[in-house]
Amino acid sequence: MAGFGDGASRHPQVRAWVAERAASLRLPVSVGLLCETAVVRLGVSGAAVTVDNAAGWAETRHTTDTLSTRLAELQVTVGEGPCTDAHRAGSLVLVADLDSPASQRRWPLFAPLAVDAGACALFALPLCVGTIQVGILALHQLKPGQLTAPTLTDALAFAALARRLLLDEQAGLPNTDGDPADALALHSPQVHQATGMIAAQLDEPMQDAFSRLRARAFTSQQPLAELAADVVARRVRFDHPDEAT
Amino acid sequence: MGDERLVDTFVELADTLIDDFDVIDFLHLLVDRCVELLDVDAAGLLLANQHGQLQVLASSNEQVRLLELFQLQNAEGPCLDAFAAGARVGHTDLTTAGGRWPRFAHAATDAGFTAVDALPMRLRSEVIGALNLFRTHPGELNGPALRTAQALVAVATIGLLQERSIHHQEVLTAQLQTALNSRVIIEQAKGLVAERLDMDMQDAFATLRDYARAHNLKLSDLARAVIAGRTGMHPLLTTPPPRPPSPADSDPRAR
Repeated sequence: MAGFGDGASRHPQVRAWVAERAASLRLPVSVGLLCETAVVRLGVSGAAVTVDNAAGWAETRHTTDTLSTRLAELQVTVGEGPCTDAHRAGSLVLVADLDSPASQRRWPLFAPLAVDAGACALFALPLCVGTIQVGILALHQLKPGQLTAPTLTDALAFAALARRLLLDEQAGLPNTDGDPADALALHSPQVHQATGMIAAQLDEPMQDAFSRLRARAFTSQQPLAELAADVVARRVRFDHPDEAT
Repeated sequence: MGDERLVDTFVELADTLIDDFDVIDFLHLLVDRCVELLDVDAAGLLLANQHGQLQVLASSNEQVRLLELFQLQNAEGPCLDAFAAGARVGHTDLTTAGGRWPRFAHAATDAGFTAVDALPMRLRSEVIGALNLFRTHPGELNGPALRTAQALVAVATIGLLQERSIHHQEVLTAQLQTALNSRVIIEQAKGLVAERLDMDMQDAFATLRDYARAHNLKLSDLARAVIAGRTGMHPLLTTPPPRPPSPADSDPRAR
């Protein structure tokens, strides 16, 4: 069942667009290709994906143009901006007009610099699973204006795919094409409960616990939701691998 | 039914125009009070986005949460019907509802529920979600309880629409996206607490909820603090429940 909030109904279409572009360029699907496809399909001026590195700073993974790069760097430099806020709160920050009094008040350092650099609108989509912060997909426009509802839905689907690619990378999983829509089983509360339990068992961050859960599901060829249910039912533990069956 | 408590609930549900309005807390208030004040054993709530897709946003217990997800995954059940029709849908004996909702009826009776009522969250032509009320005994929901439920849902619906109307459409999308991520954070925290304190998920949730209420915290903020290690396990365990048990609390079926 398609959920809202992550543009789930548009996942297949967005995946097909990115795969199509990858095939035509004879390249593997990547975050970079995803950004380029997003610019074309969403009709935005530029896209960037920034990720969290070990130091916690936003590290630019891919940008489609120099303005995207500049906007990402500016926010790190001045320590504020739509992406910074989206990262902190785990919520969408959609700024239709960076030059509006509200934007200028909210980001007194960033907003004037962004406008000077030529950006008018900036949309920051957090790539997160609960408290697991993977990064941000940022889209900008050279004209002010809000994304239309269908475009926002597609943008959310691009963000979901970017999140998936980055999480696969973290969990050391190959970028598979099989049933990608449900690979994270995010609709299953037990997946998140199991992540919390594993984090406690191994005394490690949620992010690592989630990677472990996904990696074990992959190697044991078990659906993620099913393995998660076993963890929640205490049939499988992660701190004593020998006892886990 | 405690009249004073009921009045308080109406006041709280009408108060959505506050700065730190939180959809998750608001909907939990609604389902918890339904169980407390009405003759029902559990409640769950689904809310739709601008495309009409439903998502489980609140439930009074874990079983109901799974049952609501089950309805969505199997595309059948009273909540979906009530949402689609914009009208109340109920069944007084789910052991005989196999013809209408074969998979849902089976799952619900397996979970111990025998009767269900689903009320649409509707204002004029706009339907934004649905509330499911479950009972462990067959039969009709009594008249006063039903009318009270309808009034609670109506006030909650108006509250949500009022909150949305002062914002734009994209704010609704952002708000629901945040609410969904908050749900994930709460689930991650439940897992952490369940493992550390050797509890089941239901007790882990109750522990978090009681602590949040006693300290006037948003559930999702507490969940973040627990995950970040800012709130330890010891305080969670030593917090007394925020209020004396009401009659509904002493009913083991209600929890």
